Amino acid sequence: MPIFDQGYQHWDGQLSGQFGRILAIVSRGVQVQIRNRWVRWIMLAALGPAFLLSVFLVIWGLFESKSSLLTPFFGLLKNLPEELQAGPKAFRIAVWTLAVRQFFELQIFFSMMLVLLIGPDLISQDLRFNALPLYLSRPIRRWEYFVGKLGVIAVFLSAVTLLPVLVAFLLGFGFSLDASVIRDTGLLFLGSLAYGVVVVFSAGLLMLAFSSMSRNSRYVGATWLVFWLVSGVSAQVLKETVNRDWCPLASYTRNLLRIRDSLIGAHAAWGQIERLTEAGRDTFDAMASGPFLRGRRGLGPPLPPMSRRAPRPQFQSPIMAAFIPPTFPWWWSASVLCGLAVLSIGVLATRVRGLDRLN
Amino acid sequence: MLIALENVTKTYGKVRALAGLTVELPAGAIGLLGPNGSGKTTMIRVLLGLIRVDSGGGRVLGLDLAREQIEIRRRIGFVPENECLFPGMVGIEFAAYAGELVGMDSRDALRRAHEVLDYVGLGEARYRRVESYSTGMKQRLKIASAIVHDPEFLILDEPTNGMDPKGREDVLSLSIDLARNKGMSLLFSSHLLTDVEAVCEHVMVLGHGKLLARGRIEDLKQAHERQFEIRVKGETAAFAAELADRGIPAQREDDAVLAVLPPGAGPAQVWEAARARGEQIRSFRPRRSTLEEIFLTAVRGER
Repeated sequence: MPIFDQGYQHWDGQLSGQFGRILAIVSRGVQVQIRNRWVRWIMLAALGPAFLLSVFLVIWGLFESKSSLLTPFFGLLKNLPEELQAGPKAFRIAVWTLAVRQFFELQIFFSMMLVLLIGPDLISQDLRFNALPLYLSRPIRRWEYFVGKLGVIAVFLSAVTLLPVLVAFLLGFGFSLDASVIRDTGLLFLGSLAYGVVVVFSAGLLMLAFSSMSRNSRYVGATWLVFWLVSGVSAQVLKETVNRDWCPLASYTRNLLRIRDSLIGAHAAWGQIERLTEAGRDTFDAMASGPFLRGRRGLGPPLPPMSRRAPRPQFQSPIMAAFIPPTFPWWWSASVLCGLAVLSIGVLATRVRGLDRLN
Repeated sequence: MLIALENVTKTYGKVRALAGLTVELPAGAIGLLGPNGSGKTTMIRVLLGLIRVDSGGGRVLGLDLAREQIEIRRRIGFVPENECLFPGMVGIEFAAYAGELVGMDSRDALRRAHEVLDYVGLGEARYRRVESYSTGMKQRLKIASAIVHDPEFLILDEPTNGMDPKGREDVLSLSIDLARNKGMSLLFSSHLLTDVEAVCEHVMVLGHGKLLARGRIEDLKQAHERQFEIRVKGETAAFAAELADRGIPAQREDDAVLAVLPPGAGPAQVWEAARARGEQIRSFRPRRSTLEEIFLTAVRGER
């Protein structure tokens, strides 16, 4: 007999439960995807905003505690509004919130890119190589398979959104040397976590649905790219032409960001910022149109002086406009995202059938 | 009992895949035979707990089919018929991943994957990407990944389909070894009767979702009272002609003579013919049915 006989011995180890099996799918998916150098590059690039957020919260912590480490920067800091200089702790929540908000604003790009790189293979390759019978003939239910695949996306998205926020919060807390930071920013932290979960579930389900629709992962990637970019451009075009409150709903990422604003309390934060003195606002506007930010957002015209009484400032500068949360109700976006999630689940249920329908 | 099904019915729309199937099968190597559309694949899916039956029920390895499906799949290994691969992996990762999916710890799964790949003869190819494997290698890889958690019961669905003689021989050798030397029960579904006969002790024949025949292969291959298989030292063809001359229909079959004694004739007439011709009879025994005959008889009877 040509077959080696000495290799086979009986095995009597313990088998793990449901969680262990799902974890196996997640773990293997992550191992396979991390081999892609583009994924590694994007994750590396995503560290940039994470680093900036951490640095910002650290500096703010030092500023709050009037640390001597900031002595070299006193020249810059004296231009800040007097109210801010006198009692920075009063603006802690607002500043942290807007910092986290901006971080998510940048990170949504990296999140979408990661989903684009990781997601297409997840189900389409299993369909192409007929791997589903191998999964479903083992003690794995269909929903466990989906959860495992979703877990792969969750790991990567968490690594560029939730993990940096956690690190930044810890650093901000550490450098502020004030226990009240935990109390003040606790809700912001929970809101950030909730937003991360929304992104994972929404983008993950959507990508899995796309991935289940073709056996060719290139088509899946192209579909995702078109969906992401076209929806964004459509929203912009609608805004330019129709200019109604609901126009941003056409953009997938704008819907996610609208949920973000609601979860982290961006409106309240902006309300606090409005309390700043006009001089301070002028300084802020001057900084916003300065050379540091010019290359990123484009140079806007000089900002008009603002009235304290204005309920909602209407900045011409795109930089300042980016700080102002949109006005349409959050549940409009929540409805759009829920609709997409239900559609995704429907597609998955139809496209990835149980083994009773497979060969 | 390894398998006990009672009055299992499963329909897909208007098609009745299993029609009140009742069967009990003991541990060991069992051949599952049946023409296309007879319900073999449906039966395998029922045994794996992958589909709900319309009525009836049963047990596999003493576990209830309706309530303990996950536990059944933990204790069964399954080798699907079609080409199936976890993409983007090398052989060792493939087998280890298969173990992890059943619930093995990753270290155990890796160690065990090395063992089973050696066992199926893929030790040298363990670090090659599975997409580059030949058909025979893929089939052996599927077997390795099905036995990585050392199941009590292994289901092989058409394991030798589309394989070259060498690959087929390897898979049959593996199956025989698992069943006879490793104490693993097998359900060997195949339309190649010689393969089933080579591997299995028991056989069940399905037709239109019903059980047509079942039992030990040796028992089913009953002896024919008036048909004899005779081997002689000299010319087989000449002895067959001698028997025919004496009114005993006979024909050469391979290296033997197949003789059918007419009513009233007895074995003594064969011996007489040999004596008259000066031929030496080396063996003289009643002919037994082949598995093919058992299968065809069962299928025709059902029609």
